[in-house]
Amino acid sequence: MHPIIRLVNRNLTISLNPGFLIWQIIFPLIYIFVAGFAYTSLIKEVPFGDKDLAYPAFLASGMIGFNIMNSTLVSGIIIWNDRRHGMFEQIMSGPFTRAHYVFSNIVTIGIVGLISATLIAFVGYPVFFESVEFSLFTIPMIVFAAITGSILFGSIASIISTRIRSSEGFNVIINTAFLFFAFVSTAFYPAEGAPEPLASVFYVNPLTYLVDVVRAGIFGNITDFVIVEMGVLAVLASVLFIVATKLLTRLDF
Amino acid sequence: MNCISAKNLSKSYGSVRAVNEINLTVKPGQVFGFLGPNGAGKSTAIKLLTTLIPPSNGSLSILGVDAIKSPLDVRHKIGVVLQQPSYEPTLSVEKSLEKYGMMWDVPKDERTKRMEQLIQDFDLSEIRKKRNEDLSIGQRRRVQVAREFMHDMDLLFLDEPTVGLDPSARRKLLDYLKNKVSAGLTIFYTTHVLTEAEYLCDEIAIIDRGKILTVDSPDSLKGKYGKEKTIKIHITTKEDKISQVLSGIKDCKIDFNGGTNITIHSHESELVLLQVLKALNENEIEIEDLSAVPTNLEEIFLKMVEDNASNH
Repeated sequence: MHPIIRLVNRNLTISLNPGFLIWQIIFPLIYIFVAGFAYTSLIKEVPFGDKDLAYPAFLASGMIGFNIMNSTLVSGIIIWNDRRHGMFEQIMSGPFTRAHYVFSNIVTIGIVGLISATLIAFVGYPVFFESVEFSLFTIPMIVFAAITGSILFGSIASIISTRIRSSEGFNVIINTAFLFFAFVSTAFYPAEGAPEPLASVFYVNPLTYLVDVVRAGIFGNITDFVIVEMGVLAVLASVLFIVATKLLTRLDF
Repeated sequence: MNCISAKNLSKSYGSVRAVNEINLTVKPGQVFGFLGPNGAGKSTAIKLLTTLIPPSNGSLSILGVDAIKSPLDVRHKIGVVLQQPSYEPTLSVEKSLEKYGMMWDVPKDERTKRMEQLIQDFDLSEIRKKRNEDLSIGQRRRVQVAREFMHDMDLLFLDEPTVGLDPSARRKLLDYLKNKVSAGLTIFYTTHVLTEAEYLCDEIAIIDRGKILTVDSPDSLKGKYGKEKTIKIHITTKEDKISQVLSGIKDCKIDFNGGTNITIHSHESELVLLQVLKALNENEIEIEDLSAVPTNLEEIFLKMVEDNASNH
Protein backbone atom coordinates (compact mmCIF):
# COMPACT_ATOMS: atom_id res chain seq x y z
CA MET A 1 0.00 0.00 0.00
CA HIS A 2 1.31 3.47 -0.86
CA PRO A 3 2.58 5.48 2.15
CA ILE A 4 0.05 8.29 1.48
CA ILE A 5 -2.86 5.82 1.54
CA ARG A 6 -1.56 4.35 4.80
CA LEU A 7 -1.36 7.79 6.37
CA VAL A 8 -4.82 8.73 5.06
CA ASN A 9 -6.17 5.53 6.58
CA ARG A 10 -4.61 6.49 9.91
CA ASN A 11 -5.85 10.10 9.67
CA LEU A 12 -9.40 9.01 8.87
CA THR A 13 -9.41 6.62 11.82
CA ILE A 14 -8.56 9.54 14.06
CA SER A 15 -10.90 12.05 12.36
CA LEU A 16 -13.99 10.01 11.67
CA ASN A 17 -14.80 8.74 15.10
CA PRO A 18 -18.51 8.29 15.86
CA GLY A 19 -18.61 11.36 18.11
CA PHE A 20 -17.23 13.56 15.35
CA LEU A 21 -19.72 12.25 12.78
CA ILE A 22 -22.70 12.66 15.09
CA TRP A 23 -21.55 16.16 15.94
CA GLN A 24 -21.12 16.89 12.23
CA ILE A 25 -24.81 16.10 11.68
CA ILE A 26 -26.33 17.39 14.92
CA PHE A 27 -24.63 20.78 14.82
CA PRO A 28 -25.97 21.87 11.38
CA LEU A 29 -29.30 20.16 12.05
CA ILE A 30 -29.82 22.48 15.00
CA TYR A 31 -29.19 25.44 12.72
CA ILE A 32 -31.43 24.12 9.93
CA PHE A 33 -34.38 22.99 11.98
CA VAL A 34 -34.20 25.31 14.98
CA ALA A 35 -32.84 28.57 13.51
CA GLY A 36 -34.28 27.86 10.07
CA PHE A 37 -37.86 27.34 11.20
CA ALA A 38 -37.68 29.79 14.11
CA TYR A 39 -36.66 32.61 11.76
CA THR A 40 -39.34 31.71 9.22
CA SER A 41 -41.74 34.07 10.97
CA LEU A 42 -39.23 36.90 10.38
CA ILE A 43 -37.77 35.86 7.03
CA LYS A 44 -40.47 34.36 4.88
CA GLU A 45 -38.56 34.01 1.64
CA VAL A 46 -35.11 34.84 0.29
CA PRO A 47 -34.89 36.00 -3.33
CA PHE A 48 -32.33 33.86 -5.16
CA GLY A 49 -31.97 34.34 -8.93
CA ASP A 50 -35.38 33.81 -10.45
CA LYS A 51 -36.58 31.88 -7.36
CA ASP A 52 -37.87 32.78 -3.94
CA LEU A 53 -36.37 30.29 -1.50
CA ALA A 54 -37.96 29.41 1.82
CA TYR A 55 -35.51 30.44 4.58
CA PRO A 56 -34.95 26.86 5.82
CA ALA A 57 -34.00 25.85 2.25
CA PHE A 58 -31.65 28.85 1.98
CA LEU A 59 -30.09 28.00 5.35
CA ALA A 60 -29.82 24.25 4.69
CA SER A 61 -27.91 24.89 1.45
CA GLY A 62 -25.66 27.32 3.35
CA MET A 63 -25.05 24.64 5.96
CA ILE A 64 -23.34 22.43 3.37
CA GLY A 65 -20.57 25.01 2.93
CA PHE A 66 -20.60 25.69 6.65
CA ASN A 67 -20.14 21.99 7.39
CA ILE A 68 -17.30 21.67 4.91
CA MET A 69 -15.55 24.56 6.64
CA ASN A 70 -16.26 23.22 10.10
CA SER A 71 -15.14 19.66 9.42
CA THR A 72 -12.02 20.61 7.50
CA LEU A 73 -10.94 23.10 10.16
CA VAL A 74 -11.23 20.20 12.58
CA SER A 75 -9.34 17.85 10.24
CA GLY A 76 -6.63 20.47 9.76
CA ILE A 77 -6.14 20.21 13.48
CA ILE A 78 -4.68 16.72 12.92
CA ILE A 79 -1.35 18.45 12.32
CA TRP A 80 -1.70 20.41 15.55
CA ASN A 81 -2.56 17.26 17.47
CA ASP A 82 0.27 15.32 15.86
CA ARG A 83 2.73 17.99 16.96
CA ARG A 84 1.21 18.28 20.40
CA HIS A 85 1.15 14.54 21.05
CA GLY A 86 4.54 13.73 19.51
CA MET A 87 3.11 11.88 16.51
CA PHE A 88 4.59 14.26 13.95
CA GLU A 89 8.15 13.34 14.94
CA GLN A 90 7.17 9.69 15.31
CA ILE A 91 5.71 9.57 11.80
CA MET A 92 8.69 11.43 10.37
CA SER A 93 11.06 8.90 11.94
CA GLY A 94 9.13 6.14 10.15
CA PRO A 95 8.91 5.16 6.48
CA PHE A 96 7.43 8.49 5.34
CA THR A 97 8.63 11.73 3.81
CA ARG A 98 7.27 15.19 4.59
CA ALA A 99 5.59 15.19 1.19
CA HIS A 100 3.75 11.98 2.17
CA TYR A 101 2.61 13.65 5.38
CA VAL A 102 1.48 16.87 3.71
CA PHE A 103 -0.43 15.14 0.90
CA SER A 104 -2.02 12.63 3.24
CA ASN A 105 -3.41 15.48 5.30
CA ILE A 106 -4.76 17.28 2.26
CA VAL A 107 -6.39 14.09 0.98
CA THR A 108 -7.87 13.42 4.43
CA ILE A 109 -9.25 16.93 4.62
CA GLY A 110 -10.76 16.56 1.12
CA ILE A 111 -12.41 13.26 2.05
CA VAL A 112 -13.75 14.63 5.33
CA GLY A 113 -15.09 17.69 3.49
CA LEU A 114 -16.87 15.53 0.91
CA ILE A 115 -18.31 13.24 3.57
CA SER A 116 -19.56 16.26 5.53
CA ALA A 117 -21.08 17.83 2.43
CA THR A 118 -22.80 14.56 1.52
CA LEU A 119 -24.11 14.02 5.04
CA ILE A 120 -25.63 17.46 5.29
CA ALA A 121 -26.97 17.33 1.74
CA PHE A 122 -28.85 14.14 2.65
CA VAL A 123 -30.09 15.56 5.93
CA GLY A 124 -31.03 18.92 4.41
CA TYR A 125 -32.54 17.53 1.21
CA PRO A 126 -36.14 17.34 2.53
CA VAL A 127 -35.90 21.03 3.36
CA PHE A 128 -34.73 22.25 -0.04
CA PHE A 129 -35.89 19.51 -2.41
CA GLU A 130 -38.75 21.59 -3.87
CA SER A 131 -36.32 24.15 -5.30
CA VAL A 132 -33.46 21.81 -6.30
CA GLU A 133 -32.30 22.01 -9.91
CA PHE A 134 -29.50 19.53 -10.40
CA SER A 135 -27.93 19.15 -13.83
CA LEU A 136 -24.81 17.59 -15.34
CA PHE A 137 -23.06 20.90 -14.76
CA THR A 138 -24.27 21.69 -11.25
CA ILE A 139 -23.28 18.41 -9.56
CA PRO A 140 -19.58 18.65 -10.60
CA MET A 141 -19.79 22.28 -9.53
CA ILE A 142 -20.84 21.26 -6.02
CA VAL A 143 -18.10 18.61 -5.89
CA PHE A 144 -15.58 21.22 -7.11
CA ALA A 145 -16.71 23.61 -4.38
CA ALA A 146 -16.52 20.88 -1.73
CA ILE A 147 -12.97 19.90 -2.72
CA THR A 148 -11.56 23.43 -3.16
CA GLY A 149 -13.35 24.58 0.00
CA SER A 150 -11.90 21.63 1.93
CA ILE A 151 -8.39 22.37 0.71
CA LEU A 152 -8.84 26.06 1.46
CA PHE A 153 -10.04 25.66 5.05
CA GLY A 154 -7.80 22.65 5.69
CA SER A 155 -4.85 24.79 4.57
CA ILE A 156 -5.92 27.60 6.90
CA ALA A 157 -6.05 25.18 9.84
CA SER A 158 -2.68 23.71 8.78
CA ILE A 159 -1.10 27.17 8.61
CA ILE A 160 -2.41 28.01 12.07
CA SER A 161 -1.17 24.60 13.34
CA THR A 162 2.35 25.29 12.11
CA ARG A 163 2.58 28.84 13.46
CA ILE A 164 1.08 28.64 16.93
CA ARG A 165 2.80 26.74 19.73
CA SER A 166 0.56 27.15 22.77
CA SER A 167 -2.79 25.38 23.17
CA GLU A 168 -4.42 28.59 24.43
CA GLY A 169 -3.21 30.61 21.44
CA PHE A 170 -4.31 27.89 19.05
CA ASN A 171 -7.81 27.64 20.55
CA VAL A 172 -8.28 31.41 20.58
CA ILE A 173 -7.27 31.75 16.94
CA ILE A 174 -9.27 28.76 15.69
CA ASN A 175 -12.39 29.88 17.57
CA THR A 176 -12.07 33.47 16.37
CA ALA A 177 -11.52 32.30 12.80
CA PHE A 178 -14.53 29.98 13.11
CA LEU A 179 -16.81 32.74 14.37
CA PHE A 180 -15.73 35.12 11.62
CA PHE A 181 -16.02 32.53 8.86
CA ALA A 182 -19.38 31.23 10.09
CA PHE A 183 -21.27 34.40 10.83
CA VAL A 184 -19.71 37.02 8.53
CA SER A 185 -20.75 35.06 5.48
CA THR A 186 -23.74 34.26 3.31
CA ALA A 187 -24.22 30.90 5.06
CA PHE A 188 -26.98 32.30 7.29
CA TYR A 189 -28.27 35.34 5.42
CA PRO A 190 -27.97 36.80 1.93
CA ALA A 191 -25.45 39.58 1.24
CA GLU A 192 -28.12 41.52 -0.60
CA GLY A 193 -30.05 43.49 1.96
CA ALA A 194 -27.31 43.35 4.60
CA PRO A 195 -26.15 46.84 5.63
CA GLU A 196 -22.87 48.23 4.31
CA PRO A 197 -20.02 47.71 5.09
CA LEU A 198 -21.16 44.27 6.36
CA ALA A 199 -22.33 43.18 2.92
CA SER A 200 -18.86 43.97 1.49
CA VAL A 201 -17.06 42.30 4.40
CA PHE A 202 -18.96 39.10 3.53
CA TYR A 203 -16.81 38.94 0.40
CA VAL A 204 -13.57 39.08 2.37
CA ASN A 205 -14.61 35.73 3.80
CA PRO A 206 -13.82 32.64 1.68
CA LEU A 207 -16.82 30.80 3.17
CA THR A 208 -19.09 33.22 1.28
CA TYR A 209 -17.61 32.05 -2.06
CA LEU A 210 -17.90 28.41 -1.04
CA VAL A 211 -21.50 28.79 0.13
CA ASP A 212 -22.50 30.82 -2.95
CA VAL A 213 -21.09 28.21 -5.33
CA VAL A 214 -22.71 25.28 -3.48
CA ARG A 215 -26.04 27.14 -3.31
CA ALA A 216 -25.88 28.07 -6.97
CA GLY A 217 -25.17 24.42 -7.77
CA ILE A 218 -28.11 23.14 -5.73
CA PHE A 219 -30.66 25.63 -7.05
CA GLY A 220 -29.29 25.81 -10.59
CA ASN A 221 -28.56 29.53 -10.55
CA ILE A 222 -25.28 29.73 -12.46
CA THR A 223 -24.43 33.36 -13.13
CA ASP A 224 -21.23 35.10 -14.28
CA PHE A 225 -20.68 36.22 -10.70
CA VAL A 226 -20.79 32.60 -9.48
CA ILE A 227 -18.20 31.64 -12.13
CA VAL A 228 -15.97 34.46 -10.83
CA GLU A 229 -16.54 33.17 -7.29
CA MET A 230 -15.44 29.69 -8.40
CA GLY A 231 -12.26 31.26 -9.80
CA VAL A 232 -11.63 33.15 -6.55
CA LEU A 233 -12.18 29.95 -4.59
CA ALA A 234 -9.71 28.02 -6.76
CA VAL A 235 -7.04 30.73 -6.58
CA LEU A 236 -7.40 31.19 -2.83
CA ALA A 237 -7.30 27.43 -2.23
CA SER A 238 -4.18 27.07 -4.41
CA VAL A 239 -2.32 29.94 -2.73
CA LEU A 240 -3.18 28.77 0.79
CA PHE A 241 -2.34 25.19 -0.13
CA ILE A 242 1.11 26.25 -1.36
CA VAL A 243 1.72 28.33 1.78
CA ALA A 244 0.56 25.48 4.05
CA THR A 245 2.73 22.95 2.22
CA LYS A 246 5.79 25.21 2.44
CA LEU A 247 5.26 25.79 6.15
CA LEU A 248 4.69 22.10 6.78
CA THR A 249 7.84 21.06 4.95
CA ARG A 250 9.84 23.55 7.04
CA LEU A 251 8.36 22.47 10.32
CA ASP A 252 11.05 22.02 12.99
CA PHE A 253 11.33 19.09 15.35
CA MET B 1 29.09 -4.17 8.28
CA ASN B 2 28.57 -1.76 11.17
CA CYS B 3 25.04 -0.74 12.13
CA ILE B 4 26.08 2.85 12.72
CA SER B 5 29.15 4.55 11.39
CA ALA B 6 29.36 8.28 12.08
CA LYS B 7 32.41 10.32 11.15
CA ASN B 8 32.92 13.89 12.35
CA LEU B 9 29.18 14.32 12.62
CA SER B 10 28.19 17.85 13.67
CA LYS B 11 25.03 19.86 14.06
CA SER B 12 25.01 23.60 14.60
CA TYR B 13 22.13 25.94 15.37
CA GLY B 14 23.47 29.37 14.54
CA SER B 15 26.66 29.74 16.55
CA VAL B 16 25.75 26.90 18.93
CA ARG B 17 27.28 23.50 18.20
CA ALA B 18 24.82 21.02 19.66
CA VAL B 19 26.81 18.06 18.34
CA ASN B 20 30.51 18.55 17.74
CA GLU B 21 32.33 16.17 15.38
CA ILE B 22 31.25 12.92 16.96
CA ASN B 23 32.65 9.61 15.77
CA LEU B 24 30.68 6.46 16.50
CA THR B 25 30.77 2.85 15.46
CA VAL B 26 28.01 0.51 16.57
CA LYS B 27 28.43 -3.16 15.78
CA PRO B 28 25.46 -5.42 15.01
CA GLY B 29 23.81 -7.43 17.78
CA GLN B 30 24.83 -5.18 20.65
CA VAL B 31 23.23 -2.65 22.94
CA PHE B 32 25.07 0.61 22.61
CA GLY B 33 24.50 2.96 25.53
CA PHE B 34 24.58 6.71 25.02
CA LEU B 35 24.94 8.62 28.25
CA GLY B 36 25.20 12.27 29.02
CA PRO B 37 23.85 14.97 31.32
CA ASN B 38 20.87 17.13 30.33
CA GLY B 39 21.68 19.37 27.39
CA ALA B 40 24.75 17.31 26.46
CA GLY B 41 23.54 16.81 22.89
CA LYS B 42 22.04 13.33 23.26
CA SER B 43 18.66 14.14 21.73
CA THR B 44 20.21 16.11 18.86
CA ALA B 45 22.55 13.19 18.21
CA ILE B 46 19.58 10.78 18.15
CA LYS B 47 17.70 13.06 15.75
CA LEU B 48 20.77 13.05 13.48
CA LEU B 49 21.17 9.28 13.66
CA THR B 50 17.48 8.67 12.98
CA THR B 51 17.61 11.11 10.02
CA LEU B 52 15.02 13.44 11.57
CA ILE B 53 17.41 16.33 11.04
CA PRO B 54 20.31 16.63 8.57
CA PRO B 55 23.83 17.16 9.91
CA SER B 56 25.76 20.38 9.33
CA ASN B 57 28.93 18.38 8.65
CA GLY B 58 30.28 14.87 8.60
CA SER B 59 29.22 11.53 7.20
CA LEU B 60 26.74 8.98 8.49
CA SER B 61 26.08 5.42 7.43
CA ILE B 62 23.22 3.47 9.00
CA LEU B 63 22.98 -0.26 8.22
CA GLY B 64 25.19 0.29 5.20
CA VAL B 65 23.01 3.07 3.76
CA ASP B 66 24.25 6.64 3.34
CA ALA B 67 21.85 8.33 5.79
CA ILE B 68 22.44 11.80 4.40
CA LYS B 69 21.67 10.88 0.78
CA SER B 70 18.96 8.28 1.44
CA PRO B 71 17.23 9.02 4.76
CA LEU B 72 14.00 7.27 3.75
CA ASP B 73 15.86 4.02 3.01
CA VAL B 74 17.33 4.21 6.50
CA ARG B 75 13.96 4.86 8.13
CA HIS B 76 12.52 1.72 6.53
CA LYS B 77 15.07 -0.34 8.48
CA ILE B 78 15.03 1.28 11.90
CA GLY B 79 12.66 1.68 14.82
CA VAL B 80 12.57 4.79 16.97
CA VAL B 81 11.13 5.44 20.42
CA LEU B 82 11.73 9.08 21.09
CA GLN B 83 12.09 10.67 24.50
CA GLN B 84 8.85 12.64 24.25
CA PRO B 85 5.58 10.74 24.54
CA SER B 86 3.85 10.06 21.23
CA TYR B 87 0.31 8.78 21.02
CA GLU B 88 -3.05 9.28 19.38
CA PRO B 89 -5.24 10.37 22.30
CA THR B 90 -8.58 9.11 20.99
CA LEU B 91 -7.42 5.64 19.92
CA SER B 92 -7.58 2.63 22.22
CA VAL B 93 -4.37 0.81 23.06
CA GLU B 94 -5.12 -2.09 20.71
CA LYS B 95 -6.27 0.22 17.94
CA SER B 96 -3.13 2.31 18.17
CA LEU B 97 -0.96 -0.81 17.99
CA GLU B 98 -2.96 -2.10 15.04
CA LYS B 99 -2.83 1.23 13.19
CA TYR B 100 0.88 1.60 13.80
CA GLY B 101 1.43 -1.82 12.22
CA MET B 102 -0.73 -0.72 9.29
CA MET B 103 1.36 2.43 8.90
CA TRP B 104 4.41 0.19 8.56
CA ASP B 105 2.61 -1.91 5.95
CA VAL B 106 2.54 -5.04 8.09
CA PRO B 107 -0.03 -7.49 6.63
CA LYS B 108 -3.32 -7.64 8.55
CA ASP B 109 -2.97 -11.22 9.87
CA GLU B 110 0.56 -10.53 11.02
CA ARG B 111 -0.57 -7.29 12.67
CA THR B 112 -3.20 -9.09 14.71
CA LYS B 113 -0.73 -11.76 15.74
CA ARG B 114 1.92 -9.26 16.79
CA MET B 115 -0.59 -7.07 18.58
CA GLU B 116 -1.79 -9.99 20.72
CA GLN B 117 1.79 -11.00 21.48
CA LEU B 118 2.79 -7.47 22.48
CA ILE B 119 -0.29 -7.03 24.65
CA GLN B 120 0.84 -10.15 26.48
CA ASP B 121 4.58 -9.27 26.60
CA PHE B 122 4.00 -5.74 27.84
CA ASP B 123 1.17 -6.56 30.29
CA LEU B 124 -1.36 -4.46 28.40
CA SER B 125 -4.35 -6.84 28.67
CA GLU B 126 -6.17 -4.78 31.30
CA ILE B 127 -5.81 -1.54 29.38
CA ARG B 128 -6.17 -2.81 25.80
CA LYS B 129 -9.60 -1.16 25.38
CA LYS B 130 -8.65 2.08 27.15
CA ARG B 131 -8.04 5.22 25.16
CA ASN B 132 -4.47 6.50 25.18
CA GLU B 133 -5.54 9.79 26.73
CA ASP B 134 -6.90 7.89 29.75
CA LEU B 135 -3.65 6.07 30.50
CA SER B 136 -1.08 6.94 33.16
CA ILE B 137 2.33 8.20 32.04
CA GLY B 138 3.91 4.80 32.70
CA GLN B 139 1.18 2.89 30.83
CA ARG B 140 1.46 5.26 27.88
CA ARG B 141 5.22 4.75 27.80
CA ARG B 142 4.76 0.98 27.79
CA VAL B 143 2.38 1.25 24.85
CA GLN B 144 4.78 3.56 23.04
CA VAL B 145 7.66 1.10 23.39
CA ALA B 146 5.48 -1.93 22.60
CA ARG B 147 4.11 -0.21 19.49
CA GLU B 148 7.58 -0.02 17.95
CA PHE B 149 7.77 -3.81 17.93
CA MET B 150 4.76 -3.98 15.60
CA HIS B 151 7.18 -3.77 12.69
CA ASP B 152 10.44 -5.48 11.76
CA MET B 153 13.68 -3.60 12.15
CA ASP B 154 17.41 -4.16 12.26
CA LEU B 155 18.26 -1.28 14.53
CA LEU B 156 16.20 0.26 17.32
CA PHE B 157 16.78 3.68 18.86
CA LEU B 158 15.44 4.01 22.38
CA ASP B 159 15.64 7.44 23.97
CA GLU B 160 15.09 7.03 27.71
CA PRO B 161 12.43 4.33 27.27
CA THR B 162 12.01 3.56 30.97
CA VAL B 163 11.00 7.07 32.05
CA GLY B 164 7.80 6.77 34.10
CA LEU B 165 7.98 2.98 34.47
CA ASP B 166 7.84 1.32 37.87
CA PRO B 167 10.82 -0.90 38.85
CA SER B 168 9.03 -4.11 37.88
CA ALA B 169 7.96 -2.82 34.45
CA ARG B 170 11.45 -1.41 33.96
CA ARG B 171 13.12 -4.73 34.65
CA LYS B 172 10.64 -6.55 32.40
CA LEU B 173 11.37 -4.14 29.58
CA LEU B 174 15.14 -4.49 29.98
CA ASP B 175 14.83 -8.29 29.90
CA TYR B 176 12.54 -8.08 26.85
CA LEU B 177 15.17 -5.96 25.10
CA LYS B 178 17.91 -8.40 26.07
CA ASN B 179 15.92 -11.21 24.45
CA LYS B 180 15.45 -9.17 21.30
CA VAL B 181 19.19 -8.48 21.15
CA SER B 182 19.99 -12.15 21.50
CA ALA B 183 17.64 -12.70 18.54
CA GLY B 184 19.78 -10.32 16.45
CA LEU B 185 18.43 -6.82 17.06
CA THR B 186 20.85 -3.93 17.62
CA ILE B 187 19.83 -1.23 20.09
CA PHE B 188 21.03 2.32 20.52
CA TYR B 189 20.00 3.21 24.04
CA THR B 190 20.06 6.47 25.94
CA THR B 191 19.28 6.68 29.63
CA HIS B 192 19.94 8.66 32.76
CA VAL B 193 19.66 5.54 34.89
CA LEU B 194 23.20 4.26 34.89
CA THR B 195 22.36 0.96 36.55
CA GLU B 196 20.23 0.26 33.46
CA ALA B 197 23.15 1.01 31.17
CA GLU B 198 25.36 -1.26 33.25
CA TYR B 199 22.77 -4.05 33.12
CA LEU B 200 21.98 -3.78 29.43
CA CYS B 201 24.79 -2.22 27.42
CA ASP B 202 27.73 -3.92 25.73
CA GLU B 203 29.35 -0.60 24.94
CA ILE B 204 28.85 2.87 26.29
CA ALA B 205 29.57 6.34 24.96
CA ILE B 206 29.59 9.34 27.29
CA ILE B 207 28.72 12.64 25.64
CA ASP B 208 28.99 16.10 27.13
CA ARG B 209 28.80 19.54 25.54
CA GLY B 210 28.25 17.93 22.14
CA LYS B 211 31.47 15.90 22.25
CA ILE B 212 31.98 12.22 22.96
CA LEU B 213 34.28 11.89 25.95
CA THR B 214 34.78 8.15 25.81
CA VAL B 215 33.48 4.94 24.21
CA ASP B 216 34.10 1.57 25.81
CA SER B 217 32.51 -1.43 27.50
CA PRO B 218 31.23 -0.86 31.07
CA ASP B 219 33.95 -3.14 32.49
CA SER B 220 36.74 -1.42 30.58
CA LEU B 221 35.42 1.97 31.70
CA LYS B 222 35.54 0.80 35.28
CA GLY B 223 39.07 -0.51 34.72
CA LYS B 224 40.19 2.73 33.11
CA TYR B 225 38.48 5.31 35.23
CA GLY B 226 37.50 3.44 38.35
CA LYS B 227 40.96 3.37 39.98
CA GLU B 228 39.86 5.64 42.76
CA LYS B 229 38.23 3.30 45.25
CA THR B 230 35.96 4.32 48.08
CA ILE B 231 36.16 2.77 51.55
CA LYS B 232 33.79 3.69 54.37
CA ILE B 233 34.44 3.28 58.10
CA HIS B 234 31.72 3.73 60.67
CA ILE B 235 32.24 4.34 64.39
CA THR B 236 29.14 4.23 66.60
CA THR B 237 30.13 7.02 68.95
CA LYS B 238 30.85 10.58 68.06
CA GLU B 239 34.63 10.96 68.39
CA ASP B 240 35.42 14.65 68.65
CA LYS B 241 39.15 14.05 68.60
CA ILE B 242 39.00 12.15 65.28
CA SER B 243 39.84 15.17 63.17
CA GLN B 244 43.00 15.64 65.16
CA VAL B 245 43.83 11.91 65.00
CA LEU B 246 43.53 11.77 61.20
CA SER B 247 44.83 15.25 60.46
CA GLY B 248 48.00 14.11 58.72
CA ILE B 249 46.24 11.64 56.39
CA LYS B 250 45.19 12.79 52.92
CA ASP B 251 42.07 11.73 50.96
CA CYS B 252 39.81 10.97 53.89
CA LYS B 253 36.71 12.88 54.89
CA ILE B 254 34.92 12.83 58.23
CA ASP B 255 31.29 13.50 59.07
CA PHE B 256 29.30 12.99 62.26
CA ASN B 257 25.97 11.90 60.85
CA GLY B 258 24.76 9.07 63.13
CA GLY B 259 28.11 8.55 64.88
CA THR B 260 31.42 9.07 63.15
CA ASN B 261 31.90 8.27 59.44
CA ILE B 262 35.22 8.24 57.67
CA THR B 263 35.23 8.06 53.87
CA ILE B 264 38.43 7.26 52.03
CA HIS B 265 38.46 8.07 48.31
CA SER B 266 41.84 7.70 46.69
CA HIS B 267 43.93 6.10 43.94
CA GLU B 268 45.79 4.42 46.81
CA SER B 269 42.84 3.75 49.07
CA GLU B 270 44.37 0.55 50.55
CA LEU B 271 47.42 2.52 51.67
CA VAL B 272 45.28 5.28 53.14
CA LEU B 273 43.16 2.65 54.90
CA LEU B 274 46.23 1.20 56.61
CA GLN B 275 47.23 4.66 57.85
CA VAL B 276 43.69 5.30 59.15
CA LEU B 277 43.46 1.93 60.89
CA LYS B 278 46.84 2.45 62.51
CA ALA B 279 45.83 5.90 63.79
CA LEU B 280 42.52 4.59 65.13
CA ASN B 281 44.23 1.65 66.85
CA GLU B 282 46.84 3.86 68.48
CA ASN B 283 44.05 6.03 69.89
CA GLU B 284 41.98 2.99 70.95
CA ILE B 285 39.00 3.95 68.82
CA GLU B 286 36.82 0.95 68.04
CA ILE B 287 35.46 0.41 64.54
CA GLU B 288 31.81 -0.60 64.11
CA ASP B 289 31.81 -1.29 60.38
CA LEU B 290 34.16 -1.15 57.41
CA SER B 291 33.04 -1.51 53.79
CA ALA B 292 34.44 -1.03 50.30
CA VAL B 293 32.09 0.63 47.81
CA PRO B 294 32.36 -1.10 44.42
CA THR B 295 33.19 1.22 41.52
CA ASN B 296 30.09 1.81 39.46
CA LEU B 297 29.29 3.52 36.22
CA GLU B 298 27.56 6.38 37.95
CA GLU B 299 30.76 7.46 39.69
CA ILE B 300 32.71 7.21 36.46
CA PHE B 301 30.04 9.17 34.62
CA LEU B 302 29.93 11.92 37.23
CA LYS B 303 33.69 12.16 37.36
CA MET B 304 34.05 12.41 33.58
CA VAL B 305 31.37 15.07 33.30
CA GLU B 306 32.83 17.06 36.21
CA ASP B 307 36.35 16.84 34.73
CA ASN B 308 35.00 17.95 31.35
CA ALA B 309 33.17 20.87 32.95
CA SER B 310 36.29 21.99 34.83
CA ASN B 311 38.32 21.83 31.58
CA HIS B 312 35.91 24.37 30.09
